[in-house]
Amino acid sequence: MDVSISILSQVAFWGLYSGCIYILLATGLNLIFGVMKIVNFAHGEFLMLGTYITFFLFVITGFNPYVLLIGSVPVLIVAGVIVERLCFRPILGTGKLNEIFISLGLIYIFQNMVALIWTDEWRSMKSPFSDITIALGPVQLPLDYLIIIVVTAVILVLLHFFLKRTPIGKAIRATSQNRKGAMLMGINVEKINMLTFGIGAGLAGAAGTLWAVSGQVFNPYMGSIPAIKGFAIIILGGLGSIPGAIVGGLAIGMVENFTAFTLGGSWKDAVSFILLIIILVVKPTGLFGEDEE
Amino acid sequence: MNTSLFRDPLTLATAIVVLIAFLIPLFVGSNLYYLTVLVLMLIFIIYASAWNFLTFSGQGSLGHAAFFGLGAYGASLMAARLGLPSILTLLFGGIFAAVIGVLIGLTCVRLREWFLAMVTFGFAVIIQTLVVSQLAPVTGGWDGFPVPKLVPSGIQGSLMIEYYIILIITIATIILFRWLLKSRIGLALAAIRENEIEARAAGINPVPFKLFAFGVSAFFAGIAGSLEIAHFGYVTPEIFGIDLSFWPIIYSITGGLGTLAGPVIGTIVVTLLWDGLNAMGLTYARFIIIGVLLVLIIIFLPKGLVSLPAEIRKRMKRKDT
Amino acid sequence: MKRENIFSVFLAACLVLLVLSTGCTDQQPPAAQSGEVKIGVIASMTGAASTTGKDIWQSAELAADEINAKGGIKINSLGKSVPIRLIQGDDESTREGGMKAVSKLITQDNVDLLVGGYSSAVVSAHQSIVAENKVPYIISGASSSSVSHRNDLDTSYMFFHRPNTDDSGEASVLFIEEVVRPAVNAKFGFAAERPFRVAVIYQDSPFGKGQLDAVKNVIKARSLPIEVVAEEPFKMGESDFRTVLTSVKAKNPDMIYSVTFLNELVPLTQQARRDVNFNTLIMAIENNDDPDYYKGVGTYGEGMVMESRFSPYAVPKGSTEVATTQFLSNFDKKYGGFAGMMGAATYESIYIAKEAIEKAGTVEKAKVKDALSNLAMPQMMEIMKGGTIQFSPDFRESKFDLYVVQLSMDQASGEPRPEIIWPENLEARAFVVPDWYTPGTS
Repeated sequence: MDVSISILSQVAFWGLYSGCIYILLATGLNLIFGVMKIVNFAHGEFLMLGTYITFFLFVITGFNPYVLLIGSVPVLIVAGVIVERLCFRPILGTGKLNEIFISLGLIYIFQNMVALIWTDEWRSMKSPFSDITIALGPVQLPLDYLIIIVVTAVILVLLHFFLKRTPIGKAIRATSQNRKGAMLMGINVEKINMLTFGIGAGLAGAAGTLWAVSGQVFNPYMGSIPAIKGFAIIILGGLGSIPGAIVGGLAIGMVENFTAFTLGGSWKDAVSFILLIIILVVKPTGLFGEDEE
Repeated sequence: MNTSLFRDPLTLATAIVVLIAFLIPLFVGSNLYYLTVLVLMLIFIIYASAWNFLTFSGQGSLGHAAFFGLGAYGASLMAARLGLPSILTLLFGGIFAAVIGVLIGLTCVRLREWFLAMVTFGFAVIIQTLVVSQLAPVTGGWDGFPVPKLVPSGIQGSLMIEYYIILIITIATIILFRWLLKSRIGLALAAIRENEIEARAAGINPVPFKLFAFGVSAFFAGIAGSLEIAHFGYVTPEIFGIDLSFWPIIYSITGGLGTLAGPVIGTIVVTLLWDGLNAMGLTYARFIIIGVLLVLIIIFLPKGLVSLPAEIRKRMKRKDT
Repeated sequence: MKRENIFSVFLAACLVLLVLSTGCTDQQPPAAQSGEVKIGVIASMTGAASTTGKDIWQSAELAADEINAKGGIKINSLGKSVPIRLIQGDDESTREGGMKAVSKLITQDNVDLLVGGYSSAVVSAHQSIVAENKVPYIISGASSSSVSHRNDLDTSYMFFHRPNTDDSGEASVLFIEEVVRPAVNAKFGFAAERPFRVAVIYQDSPFGKGQLDAVKNVIKARSLPIEVVAEEPFKMGESDFRTVLTSVKAKNPDMIYSVTFLNELVPLTQQARRDVNFNTLIMAIENNDDPDYYKGVGTYGEGMVMESRFSPYAVPKGSTEVATTQFLSNFDKKYGGFAGMMGAATYESIYIAKEAIEKAGTVEKAKVKDALSNLAMPQMMEIMKGGTIQFSPDFRESKFDLYVVQLSMDQASGEPRPEIIWPENLEARAFVVPDWYTPGTS
């Protein structure tokens, strides 16, 4: 078998594209972890909810699905805020693993609520651009994937400015760096928790819209595996580090696709975990993580 | 002596539960459905107790199906390839799971909680992938293979005999856990769980104890897995599924994390609730109810159902004053 | 205060549910006294396979309603006709759930016969309980031969009304050898003995693995000039096939044989043609012939081929045509939408059960089993070998005549539509090598 440059670059592009979904998930998880020091294993359910809300809006309005980001992101932010207030705030600072356990409950609740409303059949939708491809050197690139990569980049840039320039963003960063200090500075950390959780969920919602637009199929159970990989990514990239999440997301996207290319598709899920375990054996705090606590 | 023993309400309750467990088949013995539910319940009591034992050392796992499945495959391969009776290969299944468990534990002992959760989850995925791909010539891949039953089905009342065998194994498991926790090992585990740094200061090296907990937990999860397969008579890689990693967690939390009775009570209550809701024809709603139950228990009753009587007493007192 | 209230209300609700649910599970008397034939339907109403589960259950209901509307099943030993009562057993798509459902149907509900079963893994776990209790079981799923060919337990009460993985693998290979290979050779002027290069992309599951093995076995057993140049597994539920396809494309196959579920075939086809620019023929397997496929795949489906046994749009001419259109329209009237292939097989299974019980003249299980073993009833909707439904003496499997369809665009609906192209006695038109097709190179 001849492995030419054009094939490799094509595989790399699929990796880049699937990395986008992971980056959005991992960035959200990371923001939440930074501020609240908790891990939400039900984060993938926000992704799933995002795809269904996009699908629902698409069916009733018929708008261009990229426009529907305006719908899915705010809905998910509200959902995130509600989940934080009802489920995570009461257990903050209790048992070490409680947040993981409560996420298990949330996974069941979200998946089956959606299944009750929309049934659990596989669904998919079609982007108006799905038939357009752009030739880039030797590779044919579907326009949708290029848009998805651009949209992801725009969202990340917006997030960057939000965190760096706005007062709320600054408060989020302050809380993330030093919770007690932020409290002393008069920042309402509980409000920041809620908000951060909402933004994290909103990013997952955006990922959901992009997932649906790209023509990938979805059902109520589709969220768990991407979310768990998102979590592996933030361990790789360093807990709380957003650039780390971007690098990690791209890395996992690439590694997965190159593994599928060499070892075969059945190793696609397992390889992220192998990578994760190797890194944790070498460095128990993650690639760029430092010891806090 | 005897009378004082039964004056303790907890001992009395335990004695009653054990008595009921031994007598139940006499009433429902002819009913295959009840016996099947009971047998599966016992298997999951062992499994949930094994998972719960890990939390005594301050560790947790999101991928215990790895050990459940390894035990099942270890025992089944011995039984099917060497023609040994399933009752003997159980032990081998447990040991096989424990050995792998300790190896996995070696990578895990230094990890913080959420890393540990991820790594254990990942191991279940990796082991399943191995079983269906590279190891397929040995494991039969996705097809799996038939396994001799625990009690050959030709024997009159085989399911009831199976029930009693599994009941005895369950009781033995719980007694062993109780003894372990009362022993010096148990005390050391408690010290590590409460504060690892202080435990170190007191001269306890946490690593061997944590590994020990991992091994014991994997051993009994493996026994539970081999029992389930010996009950079904056929093993397939679905045994490594995510849902099988989650059930023992749900059972233990519902009953009460870090208590001996917790997984037992949790398994019984959740299984009855689950099958009851099923009989009422609820489908997705069944999962939602279990999910809501889990969330509510974690928030309002963090010590699980076992703490309910104490909790009620406390609240009653508060109302009185 | 409020918190406690919420919690106690919830606990009370759980308690009430528990009490209610135990009330729901009263033991049912056997049929002879109850004046009805009880059939347990094992379907995955929840979990991964629940879409198919609903199809199975609804089709069974449809069949039972039809039979009951005509007076029910005539039982000689009772001297009258009795209605069918269906009882649902939800296997939850898990082995544990299946075990509980089956044991409940057998002892609690005292069913006379079982029908259904979908996932091979789930069925393999509860086979032992069926064997021990000797209840006739017409299985419409579990396509893996390792389930039907078990010899460690007594499967004499289990009857498999589905083609097993070997059967459908064989049909596909024969089609490729008889039709595709000569057509491609003719169009591109290749030598007749040029080996035809097939890439197999299969779901990493018993179903996918079974098909792959069957394909390889048939090629070897008949020493056909077909070469399997790639074997690429993918995870169940996968939606991103771009890398797998890129890897397969590099091996220059003449054709892809894909073993997928519907939700996987749609992205696979689209990504092959659109993203990877892989202009090769994709042959899919029988379980994908569903309206959702044609809707989902759109223009990218044009020219593709698919093995089938029950098609929503390509109904084979002849005796089965009336039954099929009637079934589809009745199903649509009752539930809205299309019934799938599993639904059709379950619908037939209920009629098979009726036939067997009437032949036996009793609901006595051993006699019903014997009647099933000796059954020879005319085919209903799906085309059977020799036009009769009968179970093979060795492993009690019914033998299907599978056919192959090819898709062409239908301007009216904007979706591709299938037409039967193989075998000759059923074909509506001949196979056409699509214009866009490029063969592989060796």
